[in-house]
Amino acid sequence: MTIDRPTTSPPQWGEPALRLFLKPEDRESVPGDLLEEYRLVVRPARGRLRADAWYVWQLAGHAWRATWPWGAALAASVVFRNSLDWWLSPTQDFYARSVASTWTAIAIFMGSGASTGWRSRSLRAGALAGVLTGAIAAAIETAVSLGQLAIQHDAHTMRMIAASGGLEEVFVLPFIVIVPGTFCASIGAAIGKTLAVVYSRAKTNSA
Amino acid sequence: MADALGAFEQAVLITIIRLGDEAYGRAILKDVQQRLERDVAPGAVHVTLDRMEKKGLLSSKLGSGTPVRAGRARRYYRLTPPGVRALNDARAAVDNIWRGLKWPLAKARSMA
Repeated sequence: MTIDRPTTSPPQWGEPALRLFLKPEDRESVPGDLLEEYRLVVRPARGRLRADAWYVWQLAGHAWRATWPWGAALAASVVFRNSLDWWLSPTQDFYARSVASTWTAIAIFMGSGASTGWRSRSLRAGALAGVLTGAIAAAIETAVSLGQLAIQHDAHTMRMIAASGGLEEVFVLPFIVIVPGTFCASIGAAIGKTLAVVYSRAKTNSA
Repeated sequence: MADALGAFEQAVLITIIRLGDEAYGRAILKDVQQRLERDVAPGAVHVTLDRMEKKGLLSSKLGSGTPVRAGRARRYYRLTPPGVRALNDARAAVDNIWRGLKWPLAKARSMA
């Protein structure tokens, strides 16, 4: 068992995925720490499948920490918009609200991509951050909308939901938004990466 | 006074002092797990180290890799003077809070 420890490895895609969420200066040390723990402790104690699951869980933790605030912000903006349309201030003219919520979502996706691009200096990481931001938001929005509808589903509420796009928009749109959101996050990542490189060069020159 | 250190941050800083020249990510993780007597996620330690380095409480440098790490470098940490000061402040604050009380607290006293 001891002999094969140095050659046991987590899933091949794991480390490249992990590196996407790390700063360039951590791309050696953090995967190294995880690999050491995986080989010396986790794999011998838990076996291959559970050890691989452990590694993926660690990777998910890094991805979660990088994206959850953006996902939560996006979900909050959509839940607020729904509450406004359904209960707080029902309207028949949704144009201004639609423009505001669209630009809010664009800003959040771009912010998610930009912060990831700044941190990791990777465009792929920014795009992945967009996917995760959208997925986290969609999960929260779906759960909250289900909860809201379970509590209040009177005729007035159902009329307002129908007027503002219907149940399809409530439960399908959050997942469709992930596609354009990923595009926006990629643009944000390009901006974040460029700013990080420029900032780093300026810092080096002034030192 | 600088930002107050949380219990976990203090545990990490004290561990780094204890480990001395061997204070790298996984060694810190194992020591913190042992002393706190609970499972700690590697990510939690990495994030804490990163945050404290940004605050200037720690400095780090890359060392060499080992075969078990597939040659990936270790990052070794040490406290900076502001880090030592922050840890001293944290300890002094706790001592001040406890001054005048005997520890462990007597049962009757804690019930009062």
